[in-house]
Formats: sequence, C-alpha cells, structure tokens
Amino acid sequence: MYQQITLIGNLGRDPEMRYAPSGDPVTNFSVATSRGWTGEDGQRQEKTVWFRVTAWRRLAETCNQYLSKGRRVLVVGELEEPYVWTDESGTSRASLQVTARTVQFLSSRAESDEQSGGQPVYSDGESAPSPDAGSDVDVRF
Amino acid sequence: MYQQITLIGNLGRDPEMRYTPSGTAVTNFSVATSRSWTGQDGQRQDRTVWFRVAAWERLAETCNQYLTKGQRVLVVGEMEEPSTWTDREGNTRASLEVRARTVRFLNTRAEGEALAQAAGQGESYGGGASAEGSEPGGEDDIPF
Repeated sequence: MYQQITLIGNLGRDPEMRYAPSGDPVTNFSVATSRGWTGEDGQRQEKTVWFRVTAWRRLAETCNQYLSKGRRVLVVGELEEPYVWTDESGTSRASLQVTARTVQFLSSRAESDEQSGGQPVYSDGESAPSPDAGSDVDVRF
Repeated sequence: MYQQITLIGNLGRDPEMRYTPSGTAVTNFSVATSRSWTGQDGQRQDRTVWFRVAAWERLAETCNQYLTKGQRVLVVGEMEEPSTWTDREGNTRASLEVRARTVRFLNTRAEGEALAQAAGQGESYGGGASAEGSEPGGEDDIPF
C-alpha cells in the first residue's frame, strides 16, 4: 500500500531553507501546476493547483542553491496530510504538502545561468522519515 | 504543467454514488494507503494516509457496482484542492481529494466475493482488470 505524486510546475517564490531540531537541512518551496482545456461549451478553462514541497538533507541544499521563483521543476514524492491554516479573513484553508524524493530542474542551462549564475544540478533525494542508504548525486543538465 | 497521483490501498467503507444536478454520476470512496519502515532508532513505524477518491460518469458506475469496503485498488488520477471540514470537537480538518482517471481492482475473484458477501452484497466478479474514465465512445470493459 503506497502512494506517489508526480508534478511539474513553476515555483511561486524563492525556496526557503532552515534547519530541523535534528540539524537536518530542510527546504520548502511552492509549485503551481496548471492545466488548460476546452470545455464542452467551447470555452477555454484553466485550473491551477498549488503544492508545497519539502526537501530534506542533501536534496534540501541542492534545491535551496539552484531553485528560484519562476523556475520549472519536476517533483516526484509522496503526499502528506494536508496542512490546515487560517487566512486573514478567518477562513480555514488547506494546502497540499509533498515530501520530495526526486527533484529535476527543468529550466534550461541558459535560463538557469541567468537566474542563478551557477551550475545546474539534478539530484535524487533521500527521504524523511525513512533514510535510504545514501543516494548518489548526479551533476548534469 | 501537470500533476498525477498514483495510490494503492484499501477502501475504508463501501463506495457511495450520487448524481449531480446535471445528472452526472459520481462515486466517492476513501482509500487508506500505508507505509511501514524501520526508523533510525530501530523501531518499526507505520503511517497511514487517507485519500477521498471521486470517480465520474461511467467509471462512477463501475466503481459503485464492484467496490466494497476492504477491497484493494490502484487509483491513478489528479489532486484537487483539499476540502476542509469541522469535526465534532470543532477542529478544522482537511481531506486529500483525488479525481480518478483509472481505477484497477486488485483483489482476486475469490477475495472479491468474500468481501462482497461480508459487506452483504453477494455479487460475484472476476479479478485483475481495470476501468478507465472519461473516454468518449469506448468499449464497455469488464473492470477487473
């Protein structure tokens, strides 16, 4: 019994990295996935679903270093319980939370060099809460 | 830009089918996905995440007809905005909502019949096929 989400989208803002009490780095970033279609009435429609992605340890450092607002990513991971919060008008809201296993940076080298000025990277992530034996980090773009 | 969820788990209770005001059939069922692992401290841990799945149109009818509490399914679909609700203690809760594109019934014939009888339905069916949703003019697949 198992679940896995795959998503492709753009970051809504720069990622934020911090350190968990354990000392592990953790990076969060929000990704907008959009789908357009033509309805039965011939009208073009669009739906955007936001995901809040969490990356841990080495993957957290890589994402924090190379991602920025507007960059496109592919994320493979698993869904967590939705995060519930209250907005400024007092309405209850819920966010989709994903723990990333893999993050692939989809913006091209030229775009990324302009934006980050550094080496673009693709890496496999280790996961919390079940630490893998340590994944290799590929560097390629 | 795109997102897709794949999940495998067991139904928490019998599916419920209804019709929207426009006459579209929709069947809802909840699926528990569980994962176990051994923590760094050597302790065995377990986590269950529930998904509320919605199947539409022909897929709704197939799921309503053949699914019962306890059955194992594979669902491929997309995530919707989570829905929030208030529980009896006044806490705000949120559910993971999936719009199903494909549902595959994973029990064998014997298991399915046993589950259906346990649920009081007594229907019989075969094992191992899948039902697809939202395809215009397709053949009527046997959904196992």
